[in-house]
Amino acid sequence: MSAPAAVRRKPRKVEASTWILLAPWIVALLFFGVYPFGFSFVLSFFDYSPLSPDSARFLGLANYAEALRDPLFWKALGNTLLFVFGTIPFTTGLALLLALALDGAFRGRDLYRAGFFLPTVVSVVVISLVWKGLYSPEGPLSWLVRAFGGTPPSWLLDERTALPAIMAMDVWAASGYYMIIFLAGLKGIPVELHEAAALEGASRSDRFWHITLPLLAPTFLFVLVVNSIRSLQIFTEVFVMTRGGPLQSTLTSVFYLYEQAFYKFRLGYASSIAYLLFALTLVLAWLQVKWLKLEGPKS
Amino acid sequence: MSAHATGRRHDAIGGVPGFVPWLLLPALATMLVPFAWMVFLSLQPGAGGQLDASRIADAKFDLVHYRELLAAGAFPRYLLNSIVVALAVVFGNVLTGAMVGYALARKRFPGNRALTWGVIATLMVPKQVLMIPLYLVLARLGWLDTYAALILPFFVDAFSIFLVRQYVLALPAELEDAARVDGASELRIFATIVLPLLRPALAVVAINGFLLNWNSFLFPLIFTNSDALRTLPVGLALFAQGEHATDWGLLMAGSTVSVLPMLAAFLLFQRQILEGMTAGAEKG
Amino acid sequence: MILARRVALLGLVLVCSVLASVGCGSGGSAGQAGRTVVIFWQFFPTEQVQPVLDEFMKQNPDIEVRMEQLTWQSGLEKITAAVAAGNAPDLCELGSTWFPGFAHGGALADWSDSAAALETSLTGWDMARVKGKTYGLPWLVGTRALFWNKELFARAGIDTTRGPSTWAELTDAARKVNALGDGVAGWGANAGERYVLFKKVMPFAWGAGGSLLSADGTASAFDSPANVEGVTQYLALAKLGRVDRQEQIDDAFLAGKVGATISGSWILRKAPKQEPALRFGVSLVPPPELDRGTSASFLGGELLVSFAKSKNQAGAWRLAKFLVSKEPSLAVARVNQAVQPAAVGAIDDPFYASDPNQRVLLEQLATAVPTPNHPKWLDMEAAIEDEVEKALYGKVTAAAAVTAASAKIDALAKAAQAK
Repeated sequence: MSAPAAVRRKPRKVEASTWILLAPWIVALLFFGVYPFGFSFVLSFFDYSPLSPDSARFLGLANYAEALRDPLFWKALGNTLLFVFGTIPFTTGLALLLALALDGAFRGRDLYRAGFFLPTVVSVVVISLVWKGLYSPEGPLSWLVRAFGGTPPSWLLDERTALPAIMAMDVWAASGYYMIIFLAGLKGIPVELHEAAALEGASRSDRFWHITLPLLAPTFLFVLVVNSIRSLQIFTEVFVMTRGGPLQSTLTSVFYLYEQAFYKFRLGYASSIAYLLFALTLVLAWLQVKWLKLEGPKS
Repeated sequence: MSAHATGRRHDAIGGVPGFVPWLLLPALATMLVPFAWMVFLSLQPGAGGQLDASRIADAKFDLVHYRELLAAGAFPRYLLNSIVVALAVVFGNVLTGAMVGYALARKRFPGNRALTWGVIATLMVPKQVLMIPLYLVLARLGWLDTYAALILPFFVDAFSIFLVRQYVLALPAELEDAARVDGASELRIFATIVLPLLRPALAVVAINGFLLNWNSFLFPLIFTNSDALRTLPVGLALFAQGEHATDWGLLMAGSTVSVLPMLAAFLLFQRQILEGMTAGAEKG
Repeated sequence: MILARRVALLGLVLVCSVLASVGCGSGGSAGQAGRTVVIFWQFFPTEQVQPVLDEFMKQNPDIEVRMEQLTWQSGLEKITAAVAAGNAPDLCELGSTWFPGFAHGGALADWSDSAAALETSLTGWDMARVKGKTYGLPWLVGTRALFWNKELFARAGIDTTRGPSTWAELTDAARKVNALGDGVAGWGANAGERYVLFKKVMPFAWGAGGSLLSADGTASAFDSPANVEGVTQYLALAKLGRVDRQEQIDDAFLAGKVGATISGSWILRKAPKQEPALRFGVSLVPPPELDRGTSASFLGGELLVSFAKSKNQAGAWRLAKFLVSKEPSLAVARVNQAVQPAAVGAIDDPFYASDPNQRVLLEQLATAVPTPNHPKWLDMEAAIEDEVEKALYGKVTAAAAVTAASAKIDALAKAAQAK
């Protein structure tokens, strides 16, 4: 898989226009990106309570050392990784399939698109509340299992099914969103390539493997990276549906650091967990870039 | 090329087998069940949060929660705030996303790679730890409890930049190079050649920006104090979510109402995704 | 290009209108015509509290109260961020669970001197004190009591003229109701969420004479036969019903699917709206036996506090003193129905004479136990919940759970001592 045309360009000197294009980002980055980022990174080396910011104490690496010794940190990280690797293949696959199916023209396609996109437009809080009801013992899921003669599990209250139940909801809620991104990516592929290949007798599947998929690679990478970042920070669903329970089976990293920051006022410790998670996310994103062999213009 | 001809041409090479819509129908139906329930709950005069299959049969339907919502004097104000904030942020995301995303994908300058990774990196830190530092920035700028606090921190969006960058990478550079040979300035190339090509990606940026800000809860809640600045999700949480009790009917009615503008925005912009197709071929 | 131009134009108009209105929403701290401003953050619906504030402003024409209603979802984050930025309100409502963190964190204004004068007119002072100092005023309090379904009790052949008066009676009733089948649970037990299960188990443990910490707060006192007895009783009840989250149990109870459960007075507000036909009784949590133990329950509440960095502390104190007094707190309790006033003598109000169920909750308050204001209290509560939940899921025995929780509590107490 090779990077597209963009990279085959001669080096040129930096133009003023480049800086004009970059200026707004850089200004905003300083205020709303770099400062909070740097501030919270510095905090990760401090014993810092937001209730008494004046009495912050420098701890060196003690917060990080504590996190690495904290069994709940590992439990939360394990659950988070389970969530990430248990949802992303399904979400990505489903989104791609839907995009391919809804790319071509047929009657009512816009309604289909809107239907699959619908879960995305409702706030996660409301979605989580609705699904909490769907998973209740009187809810339709349990009813369905009973209708087929089975004994329904207690879904969110069983440590074996609670996390998978949230994962299933996430796949449902997120697929339509990535479908739209894939649809946009598909539109960037020139029709001429398909036409030329079709003239030369390439079959539908040939064209998919040799034209669509390679040219979709940057979109594919985007979806993977963005979805990984989002999934590693899974929080609201847990906050609304299970609060990390039962028996910590749905305790995720961000929920854990949230509890540390706002119930125990240990913002320094919470920040150290956040930056451990950050490092992991960065490695994962880097691996995805390497795996898809995609980089920007070589400098 | 007209949209109609484009559609037919695309159809000719990538048309969907006739059985696909039928295959998708059950999937679509499954997708819609939670919404059906949301709307159902919003029409129940006094329901809890549980769907008891045995009680559906004798359910009564009533618009009382919608009337309650409209009777709450502040509701139109919350709605207006949400619309203003979401549109302003979308404008910023589209504008800066296109400019910076394009520069990162096409321009060679020192620190390009570092900046690209920097952009992605800002997405990787949970907002739970960024919230207090960001609050401190806004407090120092004196922006707390103003529209500025609701809009400007989100005006430039890393996700949008990253999306546009990836999209530009997949575009052939020949058109831009041809214009350069013709002596067009870089800014002119960006405005007249690149921007039209970016339409599908910018439509996604717009949808995404609208979506995120429309449903955003934590930051608007924390950055503003006045009732006059509240957005819809914050207002709904005030109305409907008590300490020990969720007012399901009211919450679901409010959610149903708040879904409608989103759906409208989606239907508006998904056309752009569709029509943006093969814009490059038009010129070439 | 047409799209781009359209979006750009729309955006430009919006940005201009927004920039024009920047600042219009922010309130200055100077009130109208020389009145001082008191900024008050609280969680009750505006319409329940505003009348009381209007009354205060009528009596105190020199003060303007600016009230903001907080959301239960993420309200704590908002207060925390404001405190961190030195931007805290003058007066704020804090739940008793959150109070120790703020008090030990040094964020609250010390009210010890001025509060002394109110000593005899309020209850629940233990909630508002840390290391002998008073950092808040008890405003509205709440407890948990036994709620039982009269219909189901009658169908199961149980006396419905009074609630179960001992553990044995309660267990027997739960067993009989549970045997009715048809999706009916004898008992509703809590699990799967934070800071709830504790409030349901401890009434039994306290009732049997158990306690949490040693008198000086330096060691755990949790590992006792009384606590094991209480946890065992709760586990026995859980086996005779369903295990679920609070709101689900409440809904199931209101839908007539749960025989009995421990819940709060919010049920009294929900029931008429959600299930007007439901016939239910409210009674004190039964003691182990008629002549042994107590009708204990959990005591929680809403405190009024001012912050060390609040700008108008004098005004905050005047407002707080007014709000906790008998009439204003009764006015809020009457419309809210999920809380009772901390003011002494509130029980004599005709409202409680006319509503026997509300009166039971007020009686339950007399024997309700507050949680210790230890700096690590939330960790200790979590330790108890984690271990009891393990027992609830059959992973360990009640005795093992109590011992393990006690060890964790002890470690937390010792660590806090060493600091």
